[in-house]
Amino acid sequence: MAATETADAIKIAGAFIGGGMALAGGAIGAGVGDGLAGSSYIQGVARQPEAQGRLQTIFFLTVGLVEAMFFINLAFMALFVFVLGA
Amino acid sequence: MIGLLPLSSEIEIGEHTTRTWLGMTFNIDTIISTLVAGAIVLLMGFAVRRVVTRTPEDHVPTRLQLIWEAVVGQVNKQVEDNLGRVHPFVAPLAISLFFFILICNWLELLPTELNGGTHLLPAPTADTNLTYALAAVTMVSVWAFGIQQKGAKGYFKHFLEPFPVLLPLNILEEMVKPITLALRLFGNIFAGGIMLALIGLIPIAALWIPNLLWKSFDAAIGVIQAFIFALLAVLYFAMAGAGHDDHDEAHETDSDDESGEETPALAH
Repeated sequence: MAATETADAIKIAGAFIGGGMALAGGAIGAGVGDGLAGSSYIQGVARQPEAQGRLQTIFFLTVGLVEAMFFINLAFMALFVFVLGA
Repeated sequence: MIGLLPLSSEIEIGEHTTRTWLGMTFNIDTIISTLVAGAIVLLMGFAVRRVVTRTPEDHVPTRLQLIWEAVVGQVNKQVEDNLGRVHPFVAPLAISLFFFILICNWLELLPTELNGGTHLLPAPTADTNLTYALAAVTMVSVWAFGIQQKGAKGYFKHFLEPFPVLLPLNILEEMVKPITLALRLFGNIFAGGIMLALIGLIPIAALWIPNLLWKSFDAAIGVIQAFIFALLAVLYFAMAGAGHDDHDEAHETDSDDESGEETPALAH
């Protein structure tokens, strides 16, 4: 009886740690990606201010794609913590 | 699962009210929200049609008309930039996807949750069923468009270019497209829903500041994700139907019926 309690505790602990690692990696990646996209956008607009409209579309597209990776990580965190970690 | 929160309340993640019919389980709350969102989009469309066909022709445009004209103009521009012409199937599909996903995402912002934990109008895009359905419809249309534009043999030969050894990677890329389309939209809106549930646990007096901030951010995320879904759909259509001229440099006779314009974004 105590063995299954320990097993359950380990399972929950593992699920939380896995979820935390998924979120950490996702946040770091999303932060770096968004920063790179923003810096390229600023450089492009600094070079050529009249291109701001066209570049803005591409910037938001890139930000959306980068954030998508983070949110897919978040969906897997939810899977680990709430479904697999019982 | 009982969340191990210091305020010791239960947040149910991913729970839907279900009905079973013929052995299949249906998430009724998602279905009702989808119908409501679809009805709102249709109402907006009919209202704009009534305004636009009003005489005299140079009447002052209403705000709804201005919004629709802005969106339709933007989407037509994107479709024309990427496909070379305003394709009669791609442009309406992209416009419908944008408005439907936008209204679905914004349904989350209405406080329709009853005290007993039942959520009357949850965001349907926070359910993977809807996002997978949207992605499946989009990708099947893209593949059908590609086969119709290039012929079956031409479309499958496209997987062997630029190098035949890249065939598994090309197939994987094509199979991953609907999955990323679906999960991107799902993850964004699902995270917004979880955050709203967590904010709801804060005592009422201090609740309104984070609520306001988070709902504004969630509204912006809803717009961005709808825009990205529609734009990526247009880009996938362009990628499926084009690239003919770039690969056949030796066969000059084949490119007679192409428009001859190479959009720079598609150069392999």
